[in-house]
Parts: sequence; C-alpha cells; structure tokens
Amino acid sequence: GINAEYGEAVVSTQSTGSFKNHEMDPFLLKKIPKDTVSRLEEFALYLRESKKERRSYVSVVKTVNVFRDLICTADWVTARELIKIIKCYCKYLPLSQSNETDVSNVVRRILKIIREENAGPEATNLADGISAFFKSDMKPSNLGRSDLQDNILNSIVELLVELDTSKSNIINMALEHIHSNERILTYGHSNTIRDFLLHGRRARDFEVIVCESGPSLQGHRMAAELSAGGIKTTVIADSAAFAIIHAVNKVIIGTHTIMADGALRAANGVHQLAMAAKYFSVPVIVCAALYKLSPTHLCSYDPDAFNKVIGPENMLSFSNAKLHSKVLISNPDFDYVPSDLIELFITNTGGHAPSYLYRIISELYHPDDYDLDNMCVETVDDEL
Amino acid sequence: MARDIVVGSNARCAALICAVKTFISDYKCPKTKEIRSHLNIALKPCFTYLSQCRMMCVSMENFIKHIKLQITKSSPDLTESEAREELLEACEDFFKENIYLAGKSITEKAVNRIVNGDTILIFKKSQLILHILLEAKAQNKEFKVVVVDSRPDLSGVSSCERLTAAGIPCSYVYINSSTYIMKKVTKVMLAADALLANGYVLGPVGTAMMGLIANTYNKPVIVCCETYKFCERVQTDSILYNELADPDSMLKTLNAEESPVAGWRESPNTRLVNLVYDTTPPALVSIVITEIAELPCSSAPVVLRRGAVKM
Repeated sequence: GINAEYGEAVVSTQSTGSFKNHEMDPFLLKKIPKDTVSRLEEFALYLRESKKERRSYVSVVKTVNVFRDLICTADWVTARELIKIIKCYCKYLPLSQSNETDVSNVVRRILKIIREENAGPEATNLADGISAFFKSDMKPSNLGRSDLQDNILNSIVELLVELDTSKSNIINMALEHIHSNERILTYGHSNTIRDFLLHGRRARDFEVIVCESGPSLQGHRMAAELSAGGIKTTVIADSAAFAIIHAVNKVIIGTHTIMADGALRAANGVHQLAMAAKYFSVPVIVCAALYKLSPTHLCSYDPDAFNKVIGPENMLSFSNAKLHSKVLISNPDFDYVPSDLIELFITNTGGHAPSYLYRIISELYHPDDYDLDNMCVETVDDEL
Repeated sequence: MARDIVVGSNARCAALICAVKTFISDYKCPKTKEIRSHLNIALKPCFTYLSQCRMMCVSMENFIKHIKLQITKSSPDLTESEAREELLEACEDFFKENIYLAGKSITEKAVNRIVNGDTILIFKKSQLILHILLEAKAQNKEFKVVVVDSRPDLSGVSSCERLTAAGIPCSYVYINSSTYIMKKVTKVMLAADALLANGYVLGPVGTAMMGLIANTYNKPVIVCCETYKFCERVQTDSILYNELADPDSMLKTLNAEESPVAGWRESPNTRLVNLVYDTTPPALVSIVITEIAELPCSSAPVVLRRGAVKM
C-alpha cells in the first residue's frame, strides 16, 4: 500500500527550488521579450517531462542553446544583472528533480564563463590565492554589453565544441585501458560505455559480461548492441555478479552523475557490484563526460533524501494486486557509490583519480554557483 | 525436477526419498541374487536417469550415499520382505531425523535469536527460513521482514505471499536495491543448499552478495542448514562446480515487450548464463545454525567427521 514512508520518498527533499510556481517571476518577465519567454517555457516543459531514456548529451546541448538565446535577447547591461536573470530562470526550471544534474552543471559552466569574461584578461584563478580570486570577480567590466556579449557567446561556442567532442575523447582512450583476451564486466546500458567498448573492439579481441540490471533490464539492450558490434557478450543476472567477478579483469561502468568527492549517483545495483569488485580487488573504471561532474555532495546518508523511487510495475506485475496492497515494494532508481570503491575516472580531459576531482571542479565552476537556488551573485552581495 | 515443479534442497530430497521407497516396495529380487548386492545395481540406472534430468543437489547425493550403505550393510540372514521392510524404515528414519526433526530443532534455536522489533532480511524462498519466521510469529514476536528477490525465477514473491498470509509485515526489493534497504535491517537469515568442508556456504545465486553487503553494513548473517547437507567437497569459487539453468528463462519480462536479446541463439556473439548456485566465503557468515549446535562455518569438517564416525 502507499504508506507514509513510500509517499515521502517520491518527493525529493534535495533543494528548495521546487517546481511549485508555474508562473515565471515577474522580474524575469520584465527583462525578457515575449517570444523568448515562450521558448523558455517550452524548455521547462521539456525538462519536466523527464523521460528515463533521454540522452544526457541531447539535454545538455538543448540547455546551452536555450541559455544562449536568453543571453542574446534579455535586457541587461552588466554581468551581475545577467547572472541574476539566469539564476531567476533557474528557479523556474525543475532542476531539483534528480534527473537534471547535467543541465544544472551546464548552467554552472555558463555562469562561470560569464564571470570569467567579465573579469577580463587579467582574471585571477584559484591558483593565485583564494582571497584574490573572490575579490576580483564582479567588478563592472570596462567592456560594454555588446563586447561582453560577443566574448560570452564565443566562449559558449567553445563550450559546445567541448560537449560535442567529449564522447569521442573518451572512447579514443579505449585502447589504453583494454588489452587482448580480457574479460570486462559492465552493468546495464550506457551509450558512452557501449561506444567505448566498440571502439576497443576495432583493434583488440576481448569478452564482455553484462549484468542484466533488473528490473528495467537495460543490460539486455546493451548486450544486443555489443554483440551486433562483434564483441562476444555474456548476459548474467545481477545476483551472479559476486559469483563471477573474481574471473573478470576489470569493471567498466558509466554513471548518471559524479559527485564532488568522486562518489557516483549511478544506476540501481552499481553499489553492490562495486563492493563485490573491491572484495576481489578488481578495478572499477568509470567513463563519464565532465558535464556529469556535479559540485554537490551527498546531503544525507538517508536513502530517501538522496534517491528517487519509481513505480514497481517492472518488479511485480500489477495483476498480483493482492500482494501489492499488502507489501511495501521499493524500486529505487539510483544508487550511491562511495568514492573509495572507484579506481579511475575516464573523462574527456583524460584519466583522473577520484581524489583529483576537487581540482577540476574548482576550474569548471565558481563557488557562488554551486547552489543554483542561491540568488546572490557574489558572496558579499547585499543587493537582494 | 527438471521443470522446476519440485524446488528446494529439502523438497527435492524428500521427493527422492518417496521415489526410492516406492521403488524398494515394488522391487522383486531375482532368485539367484542377494538383495544387498542386486538392489544397488538396480537402483543405479534410476539415479543416472534422475541426474540426467537435472543435476543432483548435495542433499540428494547424501541420501543416495546413505541408502547405498544401508543396502550393503543389510544382514544376509533376513528374508527378502524383511530386508525390504528394514530398508523402507531406513528411508523413513533418514527423512524423520535429518529433515523433519532437524528442521524443528533448527527452528527452535533460530526463533530464539529473533527479538521484538527486528527487521529480518531473507533471500528468495526457503522452506526452512519461512518455517522459522512463521513459528516466530506464532510465538507472538513482533518483527518485520524484507524479502530480497532476484531474477529470473523470482521465488521471493511466493515468500511474500506466505508471510503476508500469516500477518507478518513485509517489504520486497530486488537484489539491486539491497544496499538501499540494508541500513534498516537488523539481521540477515540465509538458507544453504550445502556446507562445504572448507566452510564455504553453497546457496542460491545471490546469497554471497547478500552476505557481502550485510557484512559491509555490520549486520549479522545467520545461515540455517541441516547437518545432512554438509558435504566433503571443497571449493573456493562459484564457477568450478555449478549448475546452469535454462537460459531462456532470463528472457521473461513482466511487461509484454520482448527482450532485445531474444534471438540470442542465432547470434554467434551472444550467450545467456543462468547460474543456479554460488559459494559464500566463511568470513562473511556470522553463524551457522544446525540441529546439533550453533557453529561457525569453520566447524564443518568436524561435523563431517562426527557423521562418519556415527555411521
């Protein structure tokens, strides 16, 4: 039955910027022309209808285009105003749903671009000292709006190129990590991993074992795609992972999000796979593009605060109604994998140990943007 | 047994005992031969046939060893009908001592370990574990059960049905979500198909994973196993000795869509592997409850030796 525990788990307790108000903030409506408003609303609707199979790359490119549109058409003079407008729009978007971390990350990248262009060529970075970094930020630039806008748009084009090439950068590293006659274990379905392994197949001969990943059974789709690409694939049930993992050379998996300390929010069942790999000292390698790297930490060990529970129709058919009414059935969507279980991250900028990710975060995102609900533009901001 | 109508180590052994009893009652010894040498020869093709239908489990193998020994040991002075009676009684006693009474003894010991307010995790379906939980409920203990299930056979559903019918509050998850619920669990109770001489526990595939996760979250792992399932074999991994079940059962999905690997037999690159057993290392098990005592896994060879001395 739907008891209190189950009902509470469905509501994400992550951030306060929930999608309660379906109306845009009047401040925002003042600053944006009408046709842009309709495009912005369309994007919010696209995010709201979160479909599980939506490819994160597609969402991310869409996000960049929408925000580029916003930057060009909104009414702003200084970078500070622009950031305020963007953050106001972010409150309107359903970013608190745990599906949308890649969108939030790209928004943070754009905000960082704006801050950097505003600071101009003498911009300091974190390496020069923390106080200098924070102080130099939001001085009004000597550039006028049109110049600043041009610089920002150029950087956004570079960002788009980076996003475009992120997957090919990752898969080109396949030959460094797969050798002949290896047995690789993977879990469920991931476009990145599939292309990574297929790229490796072009030069090396190896075997792949795929865990089914119930109850969605995405592993079956992965196995079909891999064997169509010429890789010898074996499908096993998730319960058999511990039984065969000692005979496997490495575990290569994808993830939904990488958290700031190197932990993962990955598909349900990855945590226990990583634990079994650790028990037998089999290395776990995660391939993911950097737009999945999120500067958020695990807010609580309470699984209901971190996870999202979806409907159990794939676990127990609804025709067994008698049982459904008496038994609490949990079908969490994600799994938290702590960083000590992971050996290596392969990203579009190369391979990194989990302990190095904090540095990458400091380069990609600005600390004031870590919490997108926080409306202040600078830490010393009094204007609100 | 090949069609999964009789499942579970105890059930299969009991079914084998019935079948052997029927065989012995119907058996007529040829005039020139002695029952004790001929009966074994007559039984051999039956056992071969059974093992061809489905690989024998350890409980069945141990019964076969026992009954063969009883046949050879039977006194030559007895008439054929007396010998037959004696053997039928030996079969009955085996069942009564090793399955029925052992089950009751284990239940008593295990129920003592269940306290009010417990949340007990069980894995799939085991006749013995269900018996323990139902007995605990009958003794009016207040506890909850989390049933962890796994594909492809999903036997945990019938566990849920039995438990809810008895009024025990139940949760149900797949093995993928076991780390999600493990925090709220207080004890893990697992059943074994066999206990190997080096202390490894042979159980339905996924048992080892439950043991590992329970250990990581510091929950006690209680394995319940009758002593007749203790076996001389030693194994350190799950692959060398295992059974492969029907791979097509992995293609069954609950929604009507066909699995993308449904045509796996035509594809030269695809294989489906459906393991039946796995071995849990003794380090992951806190205690094994048997009818003679509550032991650590490392005491398995001691019990085996004691059993050999008894015979």
